[in-house]
Amino acid sequence: MPKDLLRHNETWLVLLIVVIGAGIAAANPAFLSFENLAGLLKSYSMVGIMAVGVLVVLILSGSPDVSFTAIAQVVEYGVAVATLAWGGNIFLALLAAGAAGALLGAVNGAVVHFFRVPTIIVTIATFNVYFGMLYVITKGKLINVVHPMFREFGSTLLFAQTSAIGGRYGLSLMPLVWLAAALLGWFILRRTLLGRSIYAIGGNEVAAERMGMNLLRTRLFAFGFIGLLSGVAAVVHLSIVQSVVPNIIVGKELEVIAAVVLGGASVFGGKGSVLGAVLGVLLFAVLGNGLTLLGISPYWYNVAIGVVITVAITNSAYQRLRRERARVHVRVEA
Amino acid sequence: MTPRAFLRRPSHERALSLAAVVIVALMAALNWPRFLTEGNAISMAYQLPIVAFLSLGMMVTMVTGGINLAIIATANFTGIVTVLLLRALAGDAADAAGAGVALVAMAGGLAAAMAVGALMGWLIAYVEVPAILATLAFMTLLNGVNLVITRGYTLSGFPEFLIAIGNGTVGPVPIPFLLLVVAVILLGLVLRRTQTGLAFYLVGSNPVAAAYSNIRVRRVLVRTYVLSSVFAALTAFIMMGQLNSVKANYAESYLLVSVLACFLGGVDPFGGAGTLAGMVLAVVILQVVSTGVNLLRMDPFFIQAMWGFIILALVALSFAGDRLRERRRLRAARVLRGAPPAASPPAPPAPKPTAAVTPGERS
Amino acid sequence: MNEFLRLEKIHKSFAGVHALKGVDFDLRQGEVHCLVGENGSGKSTIIKIISGVLQPDTGRILVEGRPVEHLGSAGTMARGIQVIYQDLSLFPNLTVAENIALPEIRERGGRIVDWGRVKTVARAAMERIRVELDLDAEVGELPIGVQQLVAICRALTSDLKLLILDEPTASLNDRDIANLLAVVRDLQAHGIAVLFVSHKLNEVFAVAERITIFRDGEKVATLPPAELDEDRLVSLMTGRTLEKRRFTFADGAARTALEVRGLSLRNSFEDVSFALRAGEIVGLTGLRGSGRTELALALFGIRPAERGEILVDGRPARIRSVQDAVGAGIAYVPENRLVQGLVMKHSVAANATAAILDRLLGPLGLVDPARRAEAAAHWIKTLGVKVSDPAVAVQTLSGGNQQKVVIGKWLATEPRILILDSPTVGVDVGAKSTIHDHVRGLAARGMAVLLITDEVSEAVANANRILIMRAGRIRGELGTAGVEADQVQRLVEARA
Repeated sequence: MPKDLLRHNETWLVLLIVVIGAGIAAANPAFLSFENLAGLLKSYSMVGIMAVGVLVVLILSGSPDVSFTAIAQVVEYGVAVATLAWGGNIFLALLAAGAAGALLGAVNGAVVHFFRVPTIIVTIATFNVYFGMLYVITKGKLINVVHPMFREFGSTLLFAQTSAIGGRYGLSLMPLVWLAAALLGWFILRRTLLGRSIYAIGGNEVAAERMGMNLLRTRLFAFGFIGLLSGVAAVVHLSIVQSVVPNIIVGKELEVIAAVVLGGASVFGGKGSVLGAVLGVLLFAVLGNGLTLLGISPYWYNVAIGVVITVAITNSAYQRLRRERARVHVRVEA
Repeated sequence: MTPRAFLRRPSHERALSLAAVVIVALMAALNWPRFLTEGNAISMAYQLPIVAFLSLGMMVTMVTGGINLAIIATANFTGIVTVLLLRALAGDAADAAGAGVALVAMAGGLAAAMAVGALMGWLIAYVEVPAILATLAFMTLLNGVNLVITRGYTLSGFPEFLIAIGNGTVGPVPIPFLLLVVAVILLGLVLRRTQTGLAFYLVGSNPVAAAYSNIRVRRVLVRTYVLSSVFAALTAFIMMGQLNSVKANYAESYLLVSVLACFLGGVDPFGGAGTLAGMVLAVVILQVVSTGVNLLRMDPFFIQAMWGFIILALVALSFAGDRLRERRRLRAARVLRGAPPAASPPAPPAPKPTAAVTPGERS
Repeated sequence: MNEFLRLEKIHKSFAGVHALKGVDFDLRQGEVHCLVGENGSGKSTIIKIISGVLQPDTGRILVEGRPVEHLGSAGTMARGIQVIYQDLSLFPNLTVAENIALPEIRERGGRIVDWGRVKTVARAAMERIRVELDLDAEVGELPIGVQQLVAICRALTSDLKLLILDEPTASLNDRDIANLLAVVRDLQAHGIAVLFVSHKLNEVFAVAERITIFRDGEKVATLPPAELDEDRLVSLMTGRTLEKRRFTFADGAARTALEVRGLSLRNSFEDVSFALRAGEIVGLTGLRGSGRTELALALFGIRPAERGEILVDGRPARIRSVQDAVGAGIAYVPENRLVQGLVMKHSVAANATAAILDRLLGPLGLVDPARRAEAAAHWIKTLGVKVSDPAVAVQTLSGGNQQKVVIGKWLATEPRILILDSPTVGVDVGAKSTIHDHVRGLAARGMAVLLITDEVSEAVANANRILIMRAGRIRGELGTAGVEADQVQRLVEARA
């Protein structure tokens, strides 16, 4: 059984997180404080939610979506403006953001399906369209005051405590949204026929079609799903920062993809788990947080992440090579 | 080129050349008379090389079936290493240093870029890490290293020699443009006339068959990424000359533009196909459009959105073109053989050999 | 026995090629029926029509006595007809259990996946053919023979009445073939008809109740095996009696071109020794998985041997890479033309000259396009490749012409030792004999040829000696003079 466990990428990630976490905690015990861990989860919620969507598309099409940050950016701006104009409540905002995101995402799915072009090409195009049009329409204006509902949503705390210096801290709702997104992703991928079709199409598209699976519907769903989560992530981000800088989310796409790949998703499609994607994001979170706690310049963050990714992908490629070398081509008679 | 020869070129290049003519005419008309001036031509000749070098560096990796997401990070790394060497060699008087010192520093920068390329190529060829992952990792790593070295500051103050590379002219022709012309000719020779260049295409289309055909696939792959990094270094030198500064994250938005240029230029995103002529036309079109739209004082973000629309339009057009050709081919076959108009299923695409090559099978 | 399926006067054309010319065919419930014929004889078209992938231009199809109009893929499955194609259509990234149960779950399972039921369904299917598979194993990690069983189990999850197996044994080793044939008999015992397409005649005789022979889009005959023997079957398939002109080799004094001593590679082959003289054609035969291809790959430097010696022209040769092998004068025409032999999207000229770019250099060490075109034209002409323009993509050529391009690519390296691995697989009869003639011509001019083949008759007719490989070792050697194919076949299939 332990040997079986070691074959799973997730086990290695947990070990890595524990080892790195232990190192950080040894140097600065504040790492393990409730305040720090709660803050860490909150600040990585947006990336974590997006990662679930990235995973689904990567499994389906074996090529990453890179437009989701632009979708989130557009939705964030739109939701901020719309709520200022019409009010509403946070549930309506989440619903509208999710729906708008899903629509923008589904466009990608339709183009990929009908024109048979790799996801990365299509989503580079729509990234430019969405992000460019956002700036054209808004002239890039910042929004400094947003509807109070976001402040309320973002600062609601569970298990609230008061720190020694008088600040309040506790578990934010944001990581719960992340958890909900992860559970939803897990349920769809693992327990629904739709989810299994996503894996099947990612593994062997021709066979999936022969079996009568509906490629169009599955693609529209997967790309719509990443759009939906991007919309939700936008509301989460808005609730944390309570302002809109129209280019603050774009540029994070490769980091999210890296986290998902680190979590064991195959860049050729068909493989990957929600748990892995969540752990990938957590590893990034721990690294970033650790650098801060150890008083290391934040400039080292990318270096640390780069090293971790390089080591991880090299290791998994090397393991594959070793398995390949040990393969039995012929059962040789004694 | 004779008209016959032109018609025999791949249809994609034909379409691109027509598109280039139409777009130049359109931009000239919209910006009459500012577009068709010597001044505008020269300013375009200064701007074109940066996108062009990056796109060519991207192209070679795509031809071998890979991608180089680290190309911008490599360019910035080159610039930073060059500056560090300049300062090490000339101290505080870096901006007054002679051509010799500048050349040594640049050689150092180039060597650093090539080392990065060789490392990525090694990971891709020998450890068989997918190119998209290996270069993504190096992009992150190099961005980090660049930030750590520069602490986010802009480093400036370069000797005249470097400035001249970005801003100088020979007669009326800007030096960066001359460099580009030389680089295109050399790359043309490499791609069409050298064993390594010809092997790029074979490896990109089918690495297994290439390995079985007396081609050192691993070595070819390493060379691909070294060559790609050389183009990143050239970009770095021109940017240094034009901006008189280096920074950890210059030109990051060009990453997607260079992928777009490859797609526009007809490079197969799965490897094995793509011509230099198509690439040159593609970057010229991109430059003409961006200059023309700039002259119209259009919102630069509108231009960005337009790039997206252009790719989507191209995707749709090329799909429609494929369908049309397929239908014509079938009809022609029927007419030729006088067969009943039975719908026969389209031939399945030739199986794309997967990248799963067993270790020994790439020599 | 009741009739399950009847086809009447089926015609089918593709872009002017008449693939089926008025075929009648019937299949009884619970029978094992074999379909044989050469490539292009129409047997795969008939399968596609039965399975609903293609519609006939004219003709009638009756299932259990009732005529059916359009037998779409879904319709055939509903009528209990399932096909297992050569590519198996499995999902390599999913587990055995899920691969087996997925169609059933899609049909009846609703939108939520019940993993308990997935396993129950999979187990039930496995029990029907009495196999034990690890339900949690990922299919892509399993050997091809096991994958085949997974595909059969998957077909069994429906109410199966007819299972069509398209060349199921083409990539199996002997143990897996024996397993498969046992499973086929088992299905029959359950009243399931099996339509078995194969080109391995010994299997056909072992398992069939009736055999239908196709040639040039027509059904030649349907007969029970008792009324046939191999020679008769072959002549029905090819329309002529097999030419018996044997290759002979007389020059006993010829130099030894290649000698192998105690060559070994873990998990591939062990202690292999043999010699090959200039002008000889030596057949190397054995079942898939016997190590014959692995041995060739070692001699060609793709997966070099770990121990033992290779001598070329009496001198020790160190072969660690393809370049070493080419340098030593060894050329290898690989088994899988589509993946290993050719870069399909590239031109005939590019493929023909791929291995000799280093010999076409002009001034400045650049490849000389004129010399390249000349070399390509030379080999196209020498081998009689039928192509209008060397610039067309090699994927547009027929199998036989493609194989000639591969052979030309290697002859261009001027080898002294030529290893041919299954050179006539997927090649039609005419091109097959051209290739054989050409190889004999090469031998006559002093080339040492190692001919690896599945088809014992090919080796018997075209080689002067045969080496038999089994389970990673050379288990026998015999001269072909006066030997018949079935004698050799028995040696190949013998168990240790």
